[in-house]
Amino acid sequence: MICKMEIYLDNAATSMIDPRVSEAMLSCQDMKAMNASSAHRLGVVAAKAIEKTRAKIAREINAEPHELIFTSGGTESNNLALKGTAFANKGRGNHIIVSQIEHMSVMATAQWLETQGFQVTYLPVDREGFVSPKEVEKAIKRETILVSITHANNEVGTIEPIDEIGAICRSKNIFFHSDACQSFTKTKINVKGQNLDLVSLNAHKIHGPKGVGALYVRRSVKMEPLLHGGGQEGGVRSGTYNVEGIVGFGKAVEIAGEVDIKKMTELRDYFIQKIQSGIEKADLNGPRVKRLCNNISLRFRSVNGQSLTRELSEKGIYVSAGSACLSTKVTPSHVLLAMGLEPERAQEAIRISLSRWTTLEEMDLVAQSLSEIVRRSRKVG
Amino acid sequence: MQIESKEVLNLEGVACPQNSAMALLRLESMKVGALLEIVVDEGEPIKNVPLSLEAEGHEIITKMKVDKIWKILVRKS
Repeated sequence: MICKMEIYLDNAATSMIDPRVSEAMLSCQDMKAMNASSAHRLGVVAAKAIEKTRAKIAREINAEPHELIFTSGGTESNNLALKGTAFANKGRGNHIIVSQIEHMSVMATAQWLETQGFQVTYLPVDREGFVSPKEVEKAIKRETILVSITHANNEVGTIEPIDEIGAICRSKNIFFHSDACQSFTKTKINVKGQNLDLVSLNAHKIHGPKGVGALYVRRSVKMEPLLHGGGQEGGVRSGTYNVEGIVGFGKAVEIAGEVDIKKMTELRDYFIQKIQSGIEKADLNGPRVKRLCNNISLRFRSVNGQSLTRELSEKGIYVSAGSACLSTKVTPSHVLLAMGLEPERAQEAIRISLSRWTTLEEMDLVAQSLSEIVRRSRKVG
Repeated sequence: MQIESKEVLNLEGVACPQNSAMALLRLESMKVGALLEIVVDEGEPIKNVPLSLEAEGHEIITKMKVDKIWKILVRKS
């Protein structure tokens, strides 16, 4: 449990488990939900809990329950989406399109697929991180089998024009995957309305447990499994079900709501305005609108993002420099570089990501600390 | 004679115990006394699913084999 003086604002990396989620997970023990592949009564109890959750999450994205596959999280979902579709459909073609600002679990998978005989086009983005649907259309060729564009970027929060890209892919009979790990429950996902064929989801960004996620796979999409074994999830994803994790995921989805979105949006806009009016040469990365409700990505001229993050951490304020997954590397964020920033500017970025528990008082304290650190750093520098 | 209407749940190709779980969840959403016809595969499913339904107190009315599948008629309790 975080103590009173600590302010956690790295919710895009992971979020704290909601007590209601923990309670739901513990209830699996109370009802003796055992191996959901065992045919005995306690297996049925576990399977019931899983199927109930599957229906709940499927409803949230307007999918059918049998189109949802439970995985170990976003990275596995993205790997399965790309590799599974690529290998199962290589008879149709070998070309894949992704954007240059995908999460590393999509980027690295696409790069690996190149070593396996697939061709990949990495689409550029504009200065706010938007993929152009026209560029997607132009990149499509006869051999294209899959387009994968993030629903919302994990570093700068740009919400991509999924509806338009989905319509283009559907009209050309090409599978469309979107990594929605950051946007799930924060922006509407409608797999039917948005012509999505595959969607990656996870639990730990929405106050659910780590180690559980899902991949929506439209019934008509042929998939090659990554994991072979007991044949769970229709043979597409073998492995003993993480019953507690899945139940926790379902609870997290159930309690995510409009109130959180409205509150976080207001706090986000208040903070951006406060910082930009109070600190000179403070720039926002990504767009002002069409932006995730909990994402604030800023850069302060001549102040290194890693140093800033460290100094904030010493004050009990936890944010990240670039994306969390990249924060151990000294190379600038590939997302910010793709958006046209010079490497020096990209190194200045910090990401502040809010949660349903973030308060105005906390944001005021962070603004004050940021202002002090930035002024001091510039003086020293 | 009045013919009672029934819902149908096709669980062909669904493994145990997911088939039992899905059947029980469907019954949970129905009114007491309502009829459900459940289609399951031969083998383990036709052995396990009726047992799971009975364990929860539902009434199995008939089990009928049609080619390679089974139709179970159950009344929600």
